Amino acid sequence: MKSLTLRNVSKTYFDPYAGAHVTAVSDASLAVGQGEFVSIVGPSGCGKTTILNMIAGFIPVSSGEILLNDQPVKGPGPERGVVFQSFALFPWKTVLENVGFGPKMRGLPKAECDKIAREYLALAGLADAAERYPNELSGGMQQRVGVVRALANNPEVLLMDEPFASVDAQTRMTLQEELTRIWQERRPTIIFITHDVSEAVFLADRVIVLSKGRVLKELAVPLPRPRVWDRLIEDSAFKALSGQVLQLVRSA
Amino acid sequence: MTPLLKAWSLYVRWTARFPAVRSIVPFIPVVALWAIVAASGLFPPVFLPGPADVVRSFGSLVYKGILPDYLQDSVVRLAVGAAAGMALGIPLGVLVGLNARARNMLWPILLFFQAIGDIAWLPILLIWFGFSLTTMTFVIVYTVLFPVVLNTALGVRSVPVELHRAARSLGASRARVVWEVVLPGALPNIMTGLRNGLGFGWRALIATEIIVGTSGIGFLMFDARRAGSVVEILLGMIVLGLLWYVVDGWILAPIERATGQRWGLVTQ
Repeated sequence: MKSLTLRNVSKTYFDPYAGAHVTAVSDASLAVGQGEFVSIVGPSGCGKTTILNMIAGFIPVSSGEILLNDQPVKGPGPERGVVFQSFALFPWKTVLENVGFGPKMRGLPKAECDKIAREYLALAGLADAAERYPNELSGGMQQRVGVVRALANNPEVLLMDEPFASVDAQTRMTLQEELTRIWQERRPTIIFITHDVSEAVFLADRVIVLSKGRVLKELAVPLPRPRVWDRLIEDSAFKALSGQVLQLVRSA
Repeated sequence: MTPLLKAWSLYVRWTARFPAVRSIVPFIPVVALWAIVAASGLFPPVFLPGPADVVRSFGSLVYKGILPDYLQDSVVRLAVGAAAGMALGIPLGVLVGLNARARNMLWPILLFFQAIGDIAWLPILLIWFGFSLTTMTFVIVYTVLFPVVLNTALGVRSVPVELHRAARSLGASRARVVWEVVLPGALPNIMTGLRNGLGFGWRALIATEIIVGTSGIGFLMFDARRAGSVVEILLGMIVLGLLWYVVDGWILAPIERATGQRWGLVTQ
C-alpha cells in the first residue's frame, strides 16, 4: 500500500529578469510506502527543497501530480507535517502552545491540547521546557520542539527540510538517534531532505539521490535498527553505502 | 572611602530599590540650573519665573480644578483619537502588508496623504466642522493613523514565510494565520507605530487645542499667553513632558517588555 506518490512532477519558474524559464524539478517520480523513512539527498540547487515544498503544498506543481492516498495534494494540510531548517517555532507562544498548535487548530479544547502537547514533549525529553519561550532554548532543543510539534498533529507524512543542518555536530548526532527512536515508536512516513550523505544513510530505509532536478538513483539501506552512531560509525556496510551515495552526489 | 564613592554607592542602592529614582536624578541639575538662572535676576521674573513659582501655580490650578479638568480633556481626546486611529490603522496595515494588489493601490495614496500633515488640514476642517470636537478628533485620528498603518504593514511583511507555512501545514486557515501568526509577529512594529502615532498625535492635539480649543492643556497655555502668565505656560510645558513620561513608562514600555522583548523579537 503506497501512501505518497509523485507522478512525473516538474517545476519550472519564469525568471522575469533573465526572461527565461528555469527548471527546478524535472519529471520526478517517486512512491513512498506508509511508515517508510526516505531520505532525499543531493547538492544544493538540485531541487530537493522544491520537491518538499510541492509535497507540503506550499508551491504548486507545474506539471505531473502528487497523490496522498490517491487524493491529489492541493495546498498545505495537517496530514502533511513539516519540520523546517529554521525551526519556524512561533516566538510568541510557549513551547507547550507551539506543540499544542496543531490540536488547537483541529478545534480541540485547551485541556486536551495541553495534554497532547505534554505527552509529545515527554517523548522528546522536553517536559521541563513546556512553559518557556523558544528564544530561551538552545538550537537543539528548539528543533526537538519543531519535530514534536509536527508529530503532535499525528500527520500521515512528516516532511523534514534539512532540519538538523543548523545545530552543532554532537547535537545533530543525538537528534538523529532520537528521530529514529521516535520514528520506530510512532511509525509516521518520513521524507527527510538533507545534503549530508551519512545523515541520509543513517536515518533512512531508502536513499534517493537527486541531481539537477532529476532522480539519479534510489538505494535501499538494509542496516539493522535501532541505529546508533557508536556502532554504525565503524560499520563496514554503513561505510560502503555512504561511500556509494557520496560518489553519486559528487558526480551529480 | 571618598565622599564621591559614598554618593555613588548611595545612588546605586537607591536606584536598585526605587527604579523611578533613575529617571528623576537626571532632572536635578536641569531644575537647579533653571532655579539659579531665575534667581540671578538676569531676566525679569515675569519673563522667567523660577521652579518655586511654577510649583505654586501648579498647586493653585489643581486647587481650582482647572488643571485636572483640562488634563482630562486632553488625555481623553488623545485616547479616543488613538483608539480610533488604531482600529482603522491596524486592519488597513494588515491588508496592505499581506495583499500585493492592495499595497500597489494604496501605498502611493498613503504616502501622499501622510505628507499633508495634521495641522495642514486645519484650515479646511475649520470651514467644514468649525471650532468643534469633530475637527480636533479628525486631526488626532489622522495623525495617529499613518504611523500605525505604515509600521503595521512593515511588521506584517517582516514575518518569515516559514511561520505562515508552519501554521498552514499545522491546519490553520488563512484567517487563523492572521490572528495567530501575522498580528503577534507584527506586534513590535505595531507598537513602534503606536509610539510614533501617540507622539505625533499628542503634539497635534496641543497645536489643535491652541487654535480650536476651549479647554485642554494647549488651550491652557495659549490662554496664559493672552494673560501674560509665563508661569502657566511653563507649567503647561512641564505637564506635556511629564505626561509623555507616564504614557511611555506605565503603558508602552511594559507592553513591549511583556511581548516583543520577552519573545526575543526585539533586543532588550
